Amino acid sequence: MRRASSINRPPTPDAEVDQEQELSLQEIINIKLIESGEKERLKELLRERLIECGWRDEMKAQCRAFTRKRGRNNVTVDDLVDVITPKGRASVPDSVKAELLQRIRSFLVSAAL
Amino acid sequence: MQLASHFLGDILDSIIVDVASECHRIARLGLDRNLEEEEEEMKLSAQARVRVADPSSSSEANSKYVVDIFGQTHPAVANEIFECMNCGRSIMAGKFAPHLEKCMGKGRRARPKATRSNTGASQNRYSRSSPISTYSPYSSSSSVNRLSNGTPGVAGEEYGDGAFAET
Repeated sequence: MRRASSINRPPTPDAEVDQEQELSLQEIINIKLIESGEKERLKELLRERLIECGWRDEMKAQCRAFTRKRGRNNVTVDDLVDVITPKGRASVPDSVKAELLQRIRSFLVSAAL
Repeated sequence: MQLASHFLGDILDSIIVDVASECHRIARLGLDRNLEEEEEEMKLSAQARVRVADPSSSSEANSKYVVDIFGQTHPAVANEIFECMNCGRSIMAGKFAPHLEKCMGKGRRARPKATRSNTGASQNRYSRSSPISTYSPYSSSSSVNRLSNGTPGVAGEEYGDGAFAET
């Protein structure tokens, strides 16, 4: 019996196994972060801290100011991201940064074991 | 370790996108219309507060003729006159509290708080009673001793057998 030759199959998994070994340390850790659920927990923690300290309100105010200037219907999500990213990254309180970095480092240590 | 910083930045960026996305939605749906009015109100009230707090601003604020939100003016001391329900005198409303302080204290000298001794006001009350004590037949001295827990002798007599009851 002949196999139907019209079947086109994607490359066999073997090729992908080779690719995996080329993942950087960063990517490996990222996968571990996500798979363990820690990334989500870290995000929640950061979000909570940023709300507490008024950072989120400040960012929203920036967006509103920008929207008022440009006009309600002339604003895209990308515009707003561009508006708040530089200020957003710069205005995270040091204590919040320290707390999050501490937790990430703990995870890195435990992930390396 | 900049690896940790990298991940912090990663998470932060994701939160930034969330905020931007939410603001975009609010803007496009016009959900912030009320907010604009609120912000305007807050600005105006902050300005008004500055003007009120500033002592060197218009002479209006310095005189007694400051106007409230209903356009009324009020004197510093309430000047309605009525009858004191205690003594029947005609009193000005703004002067009623101090008047009442003095008025209701009648029958006593003004402010009898400081007495000769410092063992409390109760002593004064008892000192007015008759010298013959009616409480403790064993007490031969004045009522002052009666108030204290008594000399051990008194207590001993009370218990009869002379043993001072101890708990």
